[in-house]
Amino acid sequence: MSLLDIKHVDITYHVGKKDVYAVQDANMSIEPQDALGIVGESGSGKSTLAMGMLRLLSERICTIDGEVIFDGKDLLKLSDEELRKIRWTEISVVFQKSMNALSPVHRVGKQMEDVYRIHRPNASKEEIRSRVIEMLKVVNLPSRVYTSFPHELSGGMMQRVSIALSLLFNPKLLVLDEATTALDVVTQGQILKEIMALQEQFRLTRVMITHDVSVVASTCNKIAVMYAGRMLETGYVKDVLVHPKHPYTQGLLKSFPSFNGEKEELRGIPGALPDLSVKPTGCVFAPRCPYATEQCRTSLPTLQTVGNQWQAACHQLGGVSNGGN
Amino acid sequence: MRRYLLKRMLTGLLMVMISVAINFVLVRLAPGDPMVMLAGVDNPNPAQIAALTEKFGLDKSIPEQFFIYVGGVLRGDFGYSYVNERPVLALIGERVGPTLMVTLTALIIAVAIGTLLGVRCARKSGGVFDQIICGLSYLFDSTPSFWLGLMLILLFASTLHWLPTSGMVNMRAGYTGLARVGDIAYHLVLPVSTLALITMPYYFRIARSSVLQVMSEDFITTLRATGMSEKRLFNKYVLRNALIPTVTVVGSSLAHLIGGAVFIETVFSWPGMGQLLYSSISKRDYPLLSGIYLIIALSIAIMMIVVDIVYSLIDPRIKYTD
Repeated sequence: MSLLDIKHVDITYHVGKKDVYAVQDANMSIEPQDALGIVGESGSGKSTLAMGMLRLLSERICTIDGEVIFDGKDLLKLSDEELRKIRWTEISVVFQKSMNALSPVHRVGKQMEDVYRIHRPNASKEEIRSRVIEMLKVVNLPSRVYTSFPHELSGGMMQRVSIALSLLFNPKLLVLDEATTALDVVTQGQILKEIMALQEQFRLTRVMITHDVSVVASTCNKIAVMYAGRMLETGYVKDVLVHPKHPYTQGLLKSFPSFNGEKEELRGIPGALPDLSVKPTGCVFAPRCPYATEQCRTSLPTLQTVGNQWQAACHQLGGVSNGGN
Repeated sequence: MRRYLLKRMLTGLLMVMISVAINFVLVRLAPGDPMVMLAGVDNPNPAQIAALTEKFGLDKSIPEQFFIYVGGVLRGDFGYSYVNERPVLALIGERVGPTLMVTLTALIIAVAIGTLLGVRCARKSGGVFDQIICGLSYLFDSTPSFWLGLMLILLFASTLHWLPTSGMVNMRAGYTGLARVGDIAYHLVLPVSTLALITMPYYFRIARSSVLQVMSEDFITTLRATGMSEKRLFNKYVLRNALIPTVTVVGSSLAHLIGGAVFIETVFSWPGMGQLLYSSISKRDYPLLSGIYLIIALSIAIMMIVVDIVYSLIDPRIKYTD
């Protein structure tokens, strides 16, 4: 049984009188202990999807339709109190910009204790303190971090604090939203390695949101490629990144250098993201797609199964398969 | 920290000295001769003016006068008021109390109500209540204090007869003890209300924008995602971060309290520093004027150091290193 099932999720921001369709018809299912990477360029809706399914977007600025079934419960339909109980004990998040992840005027340890007390209100002081220090140790932080203020720590250390905080209750699902983007490559490499080890140790299911395909390639087993609010291709990393079916995935991979193999020309994808406040009539990628036909511009492609849990939304699948190699 | 404080005290002292020197020279360069006023503007007697000028040492050069003045101040002698023929310090001493009574009370009310309204409006920003209060805040922010004072007198004193028009006590009743305290409080209502209404928009806007800004910070999203109740999130994390600007602004406005509110004290005939300053300017009472400026400069210098210390106590990101 899958741990998280995202079914037909639409997220629309209301900006003034305009509606921005940030996520449309997102579908995905995550098995326990999967590591799913959601990739896409800025504005593709990947963070919106993650924040939206956790109901962290203000209801005053957006509406969310569809179903997000987590462990048999629809997160979008839970009462605030039911949701509050699930938060952090079962689903936790590591946010981007970890330097600002905690209050600047409270000590790190005290804030972690405060979070622990939310779901364990009867815990003794000793228990809380030892749990917090234990978690800091798990992410290889010295115990002095406990009494530090956030500004006294480096970016990498704060990222570790965020991870320690997210593992406080041993959650089932961990969402990392651009968690390593702001770090230098060396620190990023270390932290990714630690995250994978922690996933083993805590039997976590992980959703990783990033614009860096190489992060997904090295740390995830599943991938979902998003573009302009839509999922264009989903499947196992070993399939999608090796033989991409969708022209967008193919283009995305060509814009990253490869370490081994021949020296290839790096190519971007010409054009820019479409205006998300206009609902497209055809494929969202059609204006930038080299293979687009009349059909692509007029009718919306749906996800088609092309392999084991491997789906792509493209009218030209037959014609462009293996075009990425 | 200790060396930092020492440095701050020295620069503060320097600032006070410079401001005293500038004030000293500036008032003497301004047109108008205090001795002419003392002798009587309508019927000046040259011999009397010459005698007075010599008596008060105004025949000496300005640098000479300045060193005599500074020498006196260092010995604790702020000179004698020309007009009142009394020591400057005694005159100021009498006025500080009534002034602080008005300015401090108004400040406390303005900060308390302004901040509460700001926090409340920020929590429900865009709502009807928020829009009304924001509109009122612009209105009172652009209202001149003396005009508002006059309008309040017109309404509550002249028309409704609920409150006295001016003064600090009812001279005719000659109350003593508790009755006198009540009488002062009764006279305090209008000037304090005027000053509080004028200052409130300032604290309202600081609190409102600061709460709004903190609520959009990333750490609020983090803590919300942990399942923390909105109440605790707000009371412990939002407020603690959002009130830092208010505390610092209150600190620096405390420094200006002692100077009084010239317009409001004049409108309400309140016997405070503002009125004293006003009358000493119009009568060119040099020693009194210099004395008042010195006290104001001194209190600002001291309060700025206090604000710096308080700042480092409430915001852990600020540390003074030697």
